[in-house]
Amino acid sequence: MNPLLETIINKGLLFDAAGVIGLGLLGLGALRLARQHQSWGSTMMAAGAIALLLARLYIVSSPFFINDDFLLKIGPVGVSLTMGLPPLLLTLGLAGIVWGLWSHERWLRVERR
Amino acid sequence: MNSACFPPLASVEAVRPVFLIVMGVFILLVGWRLAQTSGKWTARMLMAGALLLGFGYALLMPMYEAGVLLQYSPKAHSPLSAGSVLGWHIVKLMAMNTGWFLFGTGVAMHANILGSPSARAPRVGAEETILSPHESAA
Repeated sequence: MNPLLETIINKGLLFDAAGVIGLGLLGLGALRLARQHQSWGSTMMAAGAIALLLARLYIVSSPFFINDDFLLKIGPVGVSLTMGLPPLLLTLGLAGIVWGLWSHERWLRVERR
Repeated sequence: MNSACFPPLASVEAVRPVFLIVMGVFILLVGWRLAQTSGKWTARMLMAGALLLGFGYALLMPMYEAGVLLQYSPKAHSPLSAGSVLGWHIVKLMAMNTGWFLFGTGVAMHANILGSPSARAPRVGAEETILSPHESAA
């Protein structure tokens, strides 16, 4: 295999870290906007960023602690939660960020007019 | 059974790619509109992140959902996993992670998260002077 591709695959955690840092910055920026302007859109954006961050952290960290023993311990409800929650969090987080961003942008336009 | 082969039209599986496409296009649109009202470097960060995220969410993820692109897994050693699957996996990693990083940095810069609080101080004072007579009247 191409050594460049190999390093990218092996250093996948580095890319994931970049994504997590970006989401954290997005959440911090949204919180700052929410405190500055007191618009509900920024609060929505921060909530979305937190949901996305949670799901992403779970996806990044799950290969390290998910095994058969763990799945047996948490039972069928827990297993269905591990399968159902991350997509739900990803979907809701993305929707929250986009909705919050849109409403914040619209709010900015109204404010400047 | 036909219904086993095709997901029903109103199911989560059928709606999710559409949702992702709509969200990707929306991120591009809102990022562009937000970039118009902000500074030079903030606009560049926002637009670069929005472009990458729009590409990732509007094109890549629906293609993965539709099964056009196969999910990469390090354990599977199919003949396909060497070439195109690996390449698309790297493209996805780059687009999504770099996209969120750039977009998050852009939003943080737009929110003036690295700026000093003294730059905002006069505005806070002006708000207080406007607010105080209103409060005393109430």
